[in-house]
Formats: sequence, C-alpha cells, structure tokens
Amino acid sequence: MQPGSFDPTPRGTDRPPPTAVPPAVEAVGVTKRFPGVVANDRVTFEVLPGEVHTLLGENGAGKTTLCNILTGLWKPDDGDVLMAGQPVRFRSPRDAHAAGMFMIHQHLRLVESMSVSENVVLGWSKRRGLQFSPRQVQREVAEVAEQYHMPVNPDARIWQLSLGERQRVEILKALYRGARILILDEPTTVLTPREADLLFGSMREVVTAGGSVVFISHKLPEVMAVSDRVTILRKGQAIATVGIGEARPSILAELMVGHAVAEHHRDVPDQPVGPTKASPPLLQLEGVRADGDLGLEALHDVSLEVAAGEILGIAGVAGNGQSELAEVVGGLRPYTSGAVRVAGVTLPSGDPRAAIRGGVAFVPEDRMGRGLAPGLSITDNLILKSYRDREMGMGPLLSRKKAGALARRLMTQFDVRAPGPDTRVRQLSGGNAQRVLLARELSSKPRVLVAASPTRGLDVNSTQDVWKTLLDTAASGVGVVLVSEDLDEVLSLCDRVAVFYGGRVVGVVCPREVSREKLGLMMAGAAA
Amino acid sequence: MNRNIVIALIVTAIGNGTPLVLAGLGELLAERSGVLNLGVEGMMLMGAVSGFTVSQKLGGPAALVLLAALLGAAAAGAVMALIHAFLSITVRVNQIVSGLALTIFAGTAGLSSYVGQVWKVGGIHGLHQYKAVDLFGLKNLPIVGPIVFHEDPLVYFSVILVAVAMWYLFRTRTGLYLRSVGESPAAADAMGINVTRYRYAHTVLGGALAGLGGAYFTLALAPFWTDGLTAGDGWIAIALVIFAFWRPDLLLLGAYLFGAFVALGPTLQARGIHALPSEFFSAVPYVMTVVVLVAASTGWAKRRLGTPAALGVPYSREGG
Amino acid sequence: MSSRVSALRSVRIERRLDIPRWLAWVVPVASLVLALIIAGVVLAATGHNPVSAYRQMFQAAVTAKGGLTATFVYSTPMLFTGLAAAIAFRMRTWNIGGEGQLYMGAVAASGAGLALASWPRPLLVLAMMVAGVAGGALWAVIPGILRAYFRTNEILVSLMLNYVAGYFMYYLIYDSTSYWRDLSTPSARVFPTGKNLAAAANWPVFTAGSFVLPFGFVVGAVLAIGLWFLVRSTRYGFEMRVIGDARAAAEYAGIRTKRKIVSVMAVSGLAAGLGGASQIGDFGHVLDPRGLQQAGYGYTGIVVGALALYNPLAVIISSLFIGALSNSGNALQGPSFPAGLVGTMQGIILFCVLGGEILTRYRVTRRLPGATTHLAARPPASEVPRDGVSATEVAR
Repeated sequence: MQPGSFDPTPRGTDRPPPTAVPPAVEAVGVTKRFPGVVANDRVTFEVLPGEVHTLLGENGAGKTTLCNILTGLWKPDDGDVLMAGQPVRFRSPRDAHAAGMFMIHQHLRLVESMSVSENVVLGWSKRRGLQFSPRQVQREVAEVAEQYHMPVNPDARIWQLSLGERQRVEILKALYRGARILILDEPTTVLTPREADLLFGSMREVVTAGGSVVFISHKLPEVMAVSDRVTILRKGQAIATVGIGEARPSILAELMVGHAVAEHHRDVPDQPVGPTKASPPLLQLEGVRADGDLGLEALHDVSLEVAAGEILGIAGVAGNGQSELAEVVGGLRPYTSGAVRVAGVTLPSGDPRAAIRGGVAFVPEDRMGRGLAPGLSITDNLILKSYRDREMGMGPLLSRKKAGALARRLMTQFDVRAPGPDTRVRQLSGGNAQRVLLARELSSKPRVLVAASPTRGLDVNSTQDVWKTLLDTAASGVGVVLVSEDLDEVLSLCDRVAVFYGGRVVGVVCPREVSREKLGLMMAGAAA
Repeated sequence: MNRNIVIALIVTAIGNGTPLVLAGLGELLAERSGVLNLGVEGMMLMGAVSGFTVSQKLGGPAALVLLAALLGAAAAGAVMALIHAFLSITVRVNQIVSGLALTIFAGTAGLSSYVGQVWKVGGIHGLHQYKAVDLFGLKNLPIVGPIVFHEDPLVYFSVILVAVAMWYLFRTRTGLYLRSVGESPAAADAMGINVTRYRYAHTVLGGALAGLGGAYFTLALAPFWTDGLTAGDGWIAIALVIFAFWRPDLLLLGAYLFGAFVALGPTLQARGIHALPSEFFSAVPYVMTVVVLVAASTGWAKRRLGTPAALGVPYSREGG
Repeated sequence: MSSRVSALRSVRIERRLDIPRWLAWVVPVASLVLALIIAGVVLAATGHNPVSAYRQMFQAAVTAKGGLTATFVYSTPMLFTGLAAAIAFRMRTWNIGGEGQLYMGAVAASGAGLALASWPRPLLVLAMMVAGVAGGALWAVIPGILRAYFRTNEILVSLMLNYVAGYFMYYLIYDSTSYWRDLSTPSARVFPTGKNLAAAANWPVFTAGSFVLPFGFVVGAVLAIGLWFLVRSTRYGFEMRVIGDARAAAEYAGIRTKRKIVSVMAVSGLAAGLGGASQIGDFGHVLDPRGLQQAGYGYTGIVVGALALYNPLAVIISSLFIGALSNSGNALQGPSFPAGLVGTMQGIILFCVLGGEILTRYRVTRRLPGATTHLAARPPASEVPRDGVSATEVAR
C-alpha cells in the first residue's frame, strides 16, 4: 500500500479517446534489466504529437534508461517501441535519427574545437555529395536557427559558447535533421534560470510546429511550468500519467518518491554564521587573482572568509571562476596576487603539497583521473596523500602492511563497498569512488574542506551520503567550501552562498533570505 | 657559384624531403582519425624493400614495372598498418607500444631485412628508377627550371597529394567527419559516424603512404636496397606532423626544410667544403628535429593548436 | 526459447574486476608460444622447415658447446636496456633512447678505462661503472627535462638522440684524433679503430666448468633486484605508480611530477649506460661504434621490458629468452636462416604480449540466469575513460 490518500490515475485509463493521430512515440511494456537492478519494469507510456511530455522521477528511477531504449542505444529485454502506431526496432541511435527521434544527453556530444555549423552537419547533411562548403552550411544552419527563434552564431567554435548555447546547438542539430521528437535528458541541471527559460521557449517552438518533446526532470517547478502531461517513474515502473491541469506539485512529489516528501534542509541558523570576532576565519582569501587555462585572468580580486563549522556555498554558471577558485585553494593553480590563508598561515601559490600540509582537504570536480588514480587499488588511493607520513614506513620505505591496515579501517568507516582493498578504483561505482575520495581527504584531519561538484553524477543514496558527510564535517569544526552548479544543493546545505560571475564574487547571500530567481539573476551577472 | 650551391641544395632538399612528405602525410591522416602510429619507420622500410623487390623481379616495360612496384610498396605498408590498426583500434592496446612493436617487427633488423634476404635484393643496383622529367620543356629556365620543372614524377605526385589532402580534410564531408572522429569520437559516434571504420581506413591509408615514402628511396633517390636505409626518416615524419600542427600544407614546407638539413652536408662536401666533420652534418636533421619539437611545444596553448583531442586514446562505446 | 539458446546466452564475455596473479605468467608464456607458431608460419611460407629451425635454435642457444655462455653474453646488454625500458615505461614515460644512452655509457666507460688505466683493478672497474652510469643518465636527462618542463614528446626526442649519440661515437673514432682513437700505428691511422683498454680494465668473469658468466650479468641482476625493490616497496616507487596511472592525480597529491619524470629518466638512462659500460668492460674492451650500432641492444630492450610486463625482476628472465633468440639467430645466420628473422620474431613476440592484454581485461564466464553480481549494480555503459588496462598493472 502506498502511503497517502491520493489515488493516482491508473495507467491507460487516462488515454485520450482514439483519434486520427496516433502517438508520435510509445513504449509498450518495456523491461530492461541490468546486473542487480531492473531499470525498467514493464513501462508503458506514449507521447502525442504537439505535446511536451515530462518523465518525472528521482535519480535512478529509470528515466534515462527508458529514453536510451526509445532511441535504440540499448535493446529492451522485453516490450516494444512504436512510432506513429508502427512497431520499430532501432539498432542504434542512428536508426532513431533517421526516423526523426533525437535524444539530447546530459553530456553534450559536440566537437569542441569545431564550429557550430560544422557540428550541425556532422554525420548528416541536407546536401548530398562529397564537397562541403562551410559558407553554404552556415546559411542553412542560420535558417533553421531563425525558424525556431534560437539565435546562435554558426561561425562560433563550441568551446567559446556557454552551456546553454551549446545545448541550443544540440537542439539545432536535431531540428536541422528534421527531428519530430526531441528527448531532453535533465537539460536544466547546469543552466541559469534565465537560460532555462530560453530553453523552455525553444521547446514550445518545437511543439507548436507539430513536434513532440520528451522532457526528463526531477525538478517540480519547471515540470509544472513547461509540461502538457507528466508520466511519473519510480523504481523502474511507470506509476501514473497525469495531465498538467490535474497535477499539483505536492501530488507529483509524493508519486515520485513514494511517500511524504522528506526535507533535505538542515537546520539553517537564523543568523548567517560567518566569521565573528570569537571564531576567526579558518580559510581566508584576500584579493586573490589567478589565470585560467588559456592564460586569461579567471579570478579577479576575490575575497572570501569561511569560519569553523560553516559551509560556504559557491554558486555560479560553469566557467565563471568557481573551478579556478577551488584549484587555487587546493594549491593546484597558482595565484598571481593576493593571499590565501588557512588558520592564519599563508599558503604558497600553486603548491599542492603545502596546501595539504596546511590542512586543506580537496575534493576536485574531476573525480577520476584527478582526485583518484583510476587504475590503482583502493589502498593506493587511500594513501595517495599520506604515503609521505612518517608512520607509513621507515625512511624511503613504504609499508604495505600499514597501508593495508589503514585502507581496511577507512573502508569500514566510510562504508566503501568493494570486493577488497586491492580492487581498482576504476571498477567502483561513482558513489563508492567518491566515498574513497572523501575517506582519504577527511582522514587527514583537515581544517578546511573544499568540495567541487561532489555529487555530480551520483545516485540518490550516494548523494545523500555525501551531503551527510559534508554536514558532519562542518559540524566537527571544519570550514567547508561547497562549489556546485546545482542550486538546490547549494541552497539546502549552505550557511552562506557566494555567487560568482565573470571571475568575481557578485554577492554573498543567506539561503534563507534569497529566492531562486534572485540567485539566478545574480548568477547572470546582476549585482546583489 | 654560390647560387649554384643554393639551387643544388634546394633540388636535393626536395628529393630528400619527398619521402617525408609521403610518409608524413600518411601519419597525419592516421593521427587526424585519432590513431598514433609510431611504426612509420617500419612501414617505410617494408615499402622500400617491397617496391624494390617488385621492380627487380617483374619483367615488362619500365613504366609498368615501376607502377607495379609502387603498388607493391603501398600494399606492404598498408598490411603493416593493418596490424597496428587491429591492435590499437579493435584490441585497444597502448598505441605507443604497438607502434614501437611495428617498428621492431618490420624495421632494420626485422621483416624488411628478412624480405631483402629471402629475395636476395641487397647490395645490387636496381633495374628501374624514376628519373627527373623535363616538365613542359622548361627545365632550362634559370633558377626555377631545375627546381620546379625538373623533378621526378613522384615529387609532382606528392605535391598533388598534399593539395588533395588539404581539400579532403577541410572541404569535404568525409574530411569533416574524419576530423570529428579524431577530436571527439563519442560525438561522432552519436551522430552515426562509424568511428572504427574511419580509424581503420585512415590508419591503413597512412601505412600505404608510408610504404610509398619508403619506395621513394629505392625507386627514385637511389636504386638499391640495404637494411635500415631510411635511417630514421619515419621518426622525423612523425615529428613533422607535430611541427606542422596537423596541416598538410605546413607539412610540405617542413619536409623540404628537413630535406635541406639532410642535404646540407653532402652538398657542401660535394663542392669540397670541409669546414666541419661530416658527422656533424649527418646529425643536423636529428638535432633540428629536437629543436623544432621543443619550439612547437613551448607554450601549451599553442601546442593544443591542431592536436586531435582524442589522439592515442582508444574508443569504445561499451554497452548496447 | 530452446535451452540451447539460453545456455549460449549464459556464456558471457565480461570485464574483469580483478586481475589474478597467474595471468602475469600466462600472458608472456602464451605470447612466446604464439610468437613461435606465427614465426613458424613465416618460415614455412618462405620455404624453410620451422621444426628443424627451432631445434637448431635450441641447440645453438643452450646445448651446443659454448651455447649457453653465448646466450648470457647476448643477454647481458639486453638485461640492462630491458631494465631501462621497464622502469621508464612503467611510469608511461616512453624512453626509447636506450640505444643512445648505451652508446654514451660506453663512451664514458671506455674513456674512464683509458684514462685511469693505472688504477688497481677493482677501483678501475668501479670507475668504469660510475662513468657508464653518468654517461647514460646524463643523455637520458635531456629528453626527461624537455618532457617535464617543455612538454616535448620524449619518444621522438629520445629517439633522435640515439642518432646523435651514434654519430658522436663515429666522430670520436672515424673522423677525429680524439682520445678514444688509436693513433699509435700507421695502419691505425688509415683504418680507424679505438684504443684498446688495459687488461686491468677487463671485468672479471665467473666460470663453472665450460660455462662462463660475465660480471656484467651479475651487476644487471643486482640492479634488477634493486629496481624491483624500489618500485615495490618505496615511496619513490609509489609516486612512480601514481604518475604512471594518472599524472593529474599525482600533481593533485602534491607529488613533484616534473622532477620525478627527470629522475626516472635518469634511472632509466643509468641502466642503459651501465649496459654500455658492460659492453666495454665485459666484452669489447674497445669503443667500437659499428659493432654497438649493429647490435641494436637499445631497441631490443623494449621487447625485453615488455615481455617482462615491465617488472624489473622478470626482466632477468625475459632478457635470457631474447638473448637466446639473438644468440641462436646469429649463430645460425645463413641461407637456411635469413637475417632479419630474429627482429621479426621479436616484433611478433611484442605483438603477442600486447594482444595478451585482452586476457587481462576480459574473461569468459557462464552465468546462471537471474544470478547477479552486487558490485556491478550499474548499467554496463560505464563511460570511464579507458586507455586500456596496461600490462604494468598485471606485473605489480
């Protein structure tokens, strides 16, 4: 029995009366198993021409799996996919493309060094023949862009574009190929509210022109704002389909999680904590400037303070200096002027070892390859920073026994699930890998923890674990800096939030006192 | 007198540079698809010995024999490249080690030497050779005559090939797809471009061109075969690709420049100038390669220019 | 659905989660066997009898009079260059300049042997070793520094320096009146050759009956054990492992990666340089550019190192295999055993070792329907960036 009194419309009964127009695409009884999980369990749903149909569900509910099956990336173990009433069997996404169905993944599939128009014609073009005329293609792309009111410079290189613009290129790519059905997988995750609005506008353009949009999301406000109908997935099953007219956020939320909605919010203190005279700041940045990868200044005169026991959020649209800030504190990126102090001691610029000694723990954005050596064992990764310590062996020697003991202890303490300490980190799931990383960083008894996008790509349970670890760490008196593009995460965990735009702090706000919209404006560059 | 030295130097430079153009172009295409093939030296040697063997053993009109020899050389290089393609694209082993293995397998003390022994073509003078042609009857023009209008057909062929490669890479659909495969195989794959096929095709094509580059030694430069006669040109060709920022036009320039470094010592010595020991001049191309590589790598923003982002990284979609 | 189909479906090829230890032995041995088979096909295709060829090879390398001694003579330089390759490749620093580093070691060691001829033998031998180490290490540090501080491709630089070192040697003996060249007789002035070292500079040998073990091989074995210990049990080795797997992670962990690259290149070059010293002290007793260059020990070292899966201890064994191969190849060279076969076989061995990596990555299992593994509780579309599980990891 499901808790709650609301009786969801059973599947199927809410189907509109048979009309001349069959659904653009439908899944009938689709089942997909992966080792250990049933990702889709007899899922049936349909998308009509001219509607925005939302797939709502938590992380891991099977939304992406379902869409990967629709587009032929994966084959269903059971069940059928129909387009316009006809069963279809796609062997690859390319077949789906040919049939007019395109999926836009969270990780955009664009060639960064190429121009917008080159990307648009990649793999398919209106014109036949070997010859390829950049000018001709630019004109064609500009035409499509205009038709759907999606302004973009066809000449620009992808790496020059913001994430929102890149997404637009992906959509253009599909429209250029005559897409009738667009599937967007959590497209708003890294967008500012303003960019998200633009995206919703584009979605509307598509359905107005008679196309269909499948919109994957777990964020209720935007679902309410943009959908025509909503199908809720939970634990691989399609729970219900509701028209937006009959839907209320609270009901959708309950359907989505299966019980009354739990709050992630911690007890936010009435007063922003911040450093006071009594507790001097643990981490202090004073007028810090630093260059980005391309040699241009990425941080302009940034000053911040983090007190013991405080979580300072760093919010902003990707590429506005947050990553650089995290790297500066972690010692990975040299700063050109200003000072970084931990407990009053200045850290030398660009010296990760000094940062480690100074008590900075750092969870980098790039988990595999930066934060962890994927080909090495869990043990090796756990001693990645402490292998220099005197306790780990005599003189130049490194004691395997001591390393092993430490590894077993930390694996238990941080609940790392793996066959053993010799398992290579590459084989771990994202959540377990992140647990290894956090275990190592926190085992050094840090004064300051910098976590950059620590929950990106993690499943729901691991995300909750990471959040809990961050809160516990702060509670134990560590100064925590949380860099995240996920506004919800920042708002629910942090005591204060510093908003970055163009390499500057445009404002420091208290989550209690600021609306998402206000924050969005600040992220887009408007002053606090 | 001085002008004659310069002209002689340029003529020799073009001769020495042509195998670099051919082999370098092949490597460039392979790398554009994301496959690093360090086996160029081995492929060139196989091309050299195979082409020479065919030209020695086949009877018939010289033009046809030479053509068959070229085809044989290209085929030999292509087969060698196929081994590397299989290991690095299908089995997805480390491309560096696989390329080194190819060089050892086919190289100076390997299969190329074996072939030369089995067919007994070592140390004999060849029957056929590509000789300079008098293009449009203009070879007697001052300066440009001997440089531009008096080269062998393979030189003209290699220059045309560079032009074709420029057009192919930047003005055709296939070229665009090729570049995308080298930059972002995942993006190309998502758009229905067959990454594996592109990589195989261009690695094998690269091998064929390397084979032709090797054959230039035995069919045009000097018609004889000896073990290891390419003397590191395969490696210089790889360096040239970096130096040229993966562009065929710059590669052509670089190859002739290196041809000039190679030609410097012999040209001076032929005129009785012995200012420095011959070993010094012999070492110049190798030292210059190091210098050029350092120059091309200082400042990493510049280095990124042209480097295919997925170079040397095996691609697999996994699942599906 | 028939039961046969479901039985087939239950056989799956899946990715290995852990690499069992026995694979570290199976891959090289299977590679050798496979290489012998493939080379046999090549032999048969060119009109030779592979079985008798292999029998002859075995006799020449092991059972013939002096065969085993000769095998050790061939193996000695390969032991050094194999270590040079193994230690650098482990860290994914591609030093293929073992050849040039060996030359420079030989130049330095012969120079020391000539200059200090009056020293007592133990000291002189030691001085030659030190000189060889210095020569090789310094030559290797050049590509090391360029790689670490200028991001210059070390493969190409180290390779180019092989040629430069080769011409340098030629210059010393053939085109100058250098200290190394013998100018004492009129005929030596016409036909250039190097000065012979004094008898005191000859390295000792260990004899057991008719079998003679060169001192250099013992030195190489000690070096192998030392490097194995370095890699396995020290903080230095740990840092190498991290850099080899993920350089960005090493930097993040505060490892001084640049210095480390230079230092590992030096260690790698040191091994090759010591091999050059051994060539002078153990065997040649004179700087012979042509002989050194024709032998190509530096390149062979890559095969030796790879066959050992870059494990220094295993290099001792793999150097003996490849040494035996070279020994027999040279002993048998002639119409029935063409030159080039040895290199071809080395190449095939290397290909097979590489191909064997696939065994370390996948395994074939029979899975009962419905059975699940708890660890792999995620879709198989793991988008992990993978440049393959390298053989290095097997050998650890």
